[in-house]
Amino acid sequence: MQGSTEASERLVCAVLAAQVAAMRDRSDIEALLDLVWRAIETLATLSHLVTSLAARVPGLGDSLLDQSSTGVADAAAMRASLEALAFLETQRHDFGRQVADCVVRALESLAASDPPPGGRLTPRALCDLYVCEEQRRVHDSAIGRLACGR
Amino acid sequence: MPSILVLDDSPTMVMSLSRVLKNAGYQVETGSNGREGLNLLNGGSKPNVILTDLNMPQMDGIAFIREARRTSAGRFVPIIVLTTEGGAAKRDEARAAGASGWLTKPTDPNELIATLKQLLPK
Repeated sequence: MQGSTEASERLVCAVLAAQVAAMRDRSDIEALLDLVWRAIETLATLSHLVTSLAARVPGLGDSLLDQSSTGVADAAAMRASLEALAFLETQRHDFGRQVADCVVRALESLAASDPPPGGRLTPRALCDLYVCEEQRRVHDSAIGRLACGR
Repeated sequence: MPSILVLDDSPTMVMSLSRVLKNAGYQVETGSNGREGLNLLNGGSKPNVILTDLNMPQMDGIAFIREARRTSAGRFVPIIVLTTEGGAAKRDEARAAGASGWLTKPTDPNELIATLKQLLPK
């Protein structure tokens, strides 16, 4: 009976590992980022065009010249914001992918029928899979909560 | 135009880093792990700065830094670690291997460019 429960639990871990791996592989933001980078390039091209036109077309008038320089300045600010957004989102996505990797590796280890070298996964061994301080903080917090609940 | 060698195993991260660096006026070479970075250095690449992740397959960032410091192209070049890791132990390990700087992800483009400017010759 005990053996059958363990086998069932290993199977659950294997299925969960596959689910998390599938979720990690589906979460692709490349198309979104490509769109943002293209928007940044388009803004740069349009700003360049407006600046060139303003310099070459005689008699535009002060009002149009003011509007064009305001538009170019706004576009530059927008480009900087979009660039920061794209760069930060990439890094957040990368962090999520690495955390998912840790969960998959941990679940695969729990799903293995033979203990891996170094023995079965323990909370302490879990720490070796972490890639950042945030994961260690969450780990300590979860262990603390579980200890209090005993 | 200064050149930057970027090493990261995430293609999306490499793409975004390349865009930010090119928009700031740098030439960019890329690799997906430390081994590729080392091959580039041994193959004639002479970057002004190297930006490397830590957690990469085949050869991680720490091993790369250690090996790069043994090459003529990488002996004195500033190497910045750009990673999700923020732990003091890893920082010490990277510094001992020869890292020149450390940026923790997520970092914003302005901070990255400011760090590069500090390390590049005026």
